[in-house]
Amino acid sequence: MALLLLGVSHHTAPVELRERVAFTPAVLPRALAGLKARLGGGEAVILSTCNRAEIYTLAADGEAARHDVASFLSEFHQLPLDRLEPHLYVRPDTEAVRHLFRVAAGLDSLIVGEPQILGQVKDAFAEATSAGTTGATLNKLFPHAFAVGKRVRTETGLGEGAVSVSYAAVSLARKIFGKLAGLNILLLGAGEMSKITAQHLMGAEAGYVAIASRTFANAEALAAELRSGGGTVEAVPWDTALADLLARADIVITATGSTTPVVTRAGVERAFGQRKSPIFIIDIAVPRDVEPAVGDIEQVFLYNIDDLQTIVAENVARRAQQVVVAEDIVGEEVGRFLAWLRSRETVPTVVALRQRFDAIRRAELERLEPKLATLTPEARQRVEEITRLIVEKLLIVPTEQLKSVSEQQMAAAYTEALRQLFGLADPSPAARVARPAAPPSETVAAAAPAREHQGQAPAGAAHPEPTEGDLESSRSRPA
Amino acid sequence: MTALPILFYLLAGVAYAVAFVRRSSVAGRRATALMAVGVLAHTFMIGMQTMAVGHLPLVGTSGAVSAFVWLLGITYLYTEYATEERAMGVFIAPLCGALQWLPFASGAPAARPRVLESPLFTVHVGSLMVAYAAFALAAVLGITYVLLFKEIKAKHLGFFYDRLPSLHVLDAMNARAVKIGWVFLTIGLVVGGYWVGTARQVAPEDARLQAMSFVDPKVVATILCWAIYSFHLYVRRAPGWSGRRSAWLSAAGFAVVLLNFLPVAYFFSRSHNF
Repeated sequence: MALLLLGVSHHTAPVELRERVAFTPAVLPRALAGLKARLGGGEAVILSTCNRAEIYTLAADGEAARHDVASFLSEFHQLPLDRLEPHLYVRPDTEAVRHLFRVAAGLDSLIVGEPQILGQVKDAFAEATSAGTTGATLNKLFPHAFAVGKRVRTETGLGEGAVSVSYAAVSLARKIFGKLAGLNILLLGAGEMSKITAQHLMGAEAGYVAIASRTFANAEALAAELRSGGGTVEAVPWDTALADLLARADIVITATGSTTPVVTRAGVERAFGQRKSPIFIIDIAVPRDVEPAVGDIEQVFLYNIDDLQTIVAENVARRAQQVVVAEDIVGEEVGRFLAWLRSRETVPTVVALRQRFDAIRRAELERLEPKLATLTPEARQRVEEITRLIVEKLLIVPTEQLKSVSEQQMAAAYTEALRQLFGLADPSPAARVARPAAPPSETVAAAAPAREHQGQAPAGAAHPEPTEGDLESSRSRPA
Repeated sequence: MTALPILFYLLAGVAYAVAFVRRSSVAGRRATALMAVGVLAHTFMIGMQTMAVGHLPLVGTSGAVSAFVWLLGITYLYTEYATEERAMGVFIAPLCGALQWLPFASGAPAARPRVLESPLFTVHVGSLMVAYAAFALAAVLGITYVLLFKEIKAKHLGFFYDRLPSLHVLDAMNARAVKIGWVFLTIGLVVGGYWVGTARQVAPEDARLQAMSFVDPKVVATILCWAIYSFHLYVRRAPGWSGRRSAWLSAAGFAVVLLNFLPVAYFFSRSHNF
């Protein structure tokens, strides 16, 4: 069984197509059920956000599954396949694992490091679990992806630092005032930039916003617009703003079209009087609205548009550095997951080896039965226990070694050698599936009972292959 | 045994530093755990000493320093718990470790002279140590306030910007710490003054008690502290003083506290030296 990912994202498809193939939460259960029917059982998770629609499956035959999933997408969304195909990407096996880990870490996002995607991946997995379309592999893969996302977030600064001017202003305001709730904001100038910055601050729950413009009507218009988004917004006359409100405001945003500074050092000092609480002045106008000397006043933190853009540029550069670190983490974790996957492939061999050894032990005990009959029950039990412990101990090292093999070829070589050396019965279900040369009718006959079985049982509970769980339980019998 | 608190305070300091620089919450939780173990070990140590000598080991500068460090540890852990903010630990834990060296080096606590067998003495020393612990915290908060203030003012957002809470929070915590410290300092001073009066009658033969006066260097330094912190409380209300200046003031106040604790108590004070 191999992992397979099919999807479209902002990297490959325009928004017109992405919105056509998006799975809304309402249709997701139906989609998962449909997909499962189409794949004839098996595992599947659908991850759908505004930037991507991706389907993760576990398939025996990669090419057939690719076709199944693509036609499912096309039929479910009533979109011609030839319109979908050019935007579709396919990632098999290792690449699917890497892709999911990069997505969870925010590396594949439009804004690299944005935090929402991890929650969306979690939701997608939860949906699939409740729809019963996940099994042993995806149940391990997705939680691993959550851990990767969390690790990248805590070990790198990937999602940190504002990367837009408005947000840089908000984060500075937070660093100065703590919570923004209840702060007084004064807007000088009623243009587009004032509006955007004010909206960001109001989104962060600022208290009271006063807007002043040389043309009072403009201020009133903007106030009305901002008020509709909730919050206390008021248009004030220009002169009042400069004299009174300047002294009471916590944050001042200036964005007028004036060619000379409207906020002067002398004016601020006069308005401030004995003010002691800090004030944050954001001058986003060009030419500047605030005299640079205003920044020399003790309580004033003055930032102009260049200062904010410098911060943004630094943050962007810092994020770019962190991307390298994050990619390394993803690579490392992909390796770990593959190691687990390979170790699972060796599980049938380990189980067979164990059964073989145990059969020999039992046969020998049976053969010696007449001689053992003279022993007391305690002594017999001791013999039983000792033989079992010998078998256990003989198997410890080979089992550990097999489980730690991470390369697929090595794992295959090891299992083959073991089967030959100990004359183990063939082939695990995995080996059977990996032989596409078998006639189709035979494959179907072999696979059908297993699929039916899986369909009835809760996800992951009944897996046709011996799982790691079997191995663990056989090893942890009381000694 | 007496080295254990130092060891844990220093380990906690290292862990806090790692948590601070790398912004790792795992290291932060470890640091808190180490700090808590340090305070517990310290509590145990003070408990053992109390049992050994039959009273709280507050006699002599080393006993007082030990009590101070212990209270500072508790105060800090409480602050961390209340504010969910670990940034101060990187300053407080090493301070605890360094100061605790003094009682460690001077060995077992001194026997208590008869004149000190008064609950008033315990209240006097105890409340002063609470005050000093609060001032230590205020000083650290003040220093970090200034560091962050400078970064934001200079538009160079870097190391501290990413790691410290907001200016507003630092300022508010600083104010609260100074207020609490000032109340206990006042109690300690008043009780001390009253107790000298009563003790003189109990032990007329004690030369130190008879010589005790307002011009004793230790008393002078303590009253200076009281004046500085009173001024701090005043300027926070009065207009004209920004957060940065009062932050500096709380740092300066603690410098006087430390001077009072170490060189003054050891070398200069003749009468206030038990």
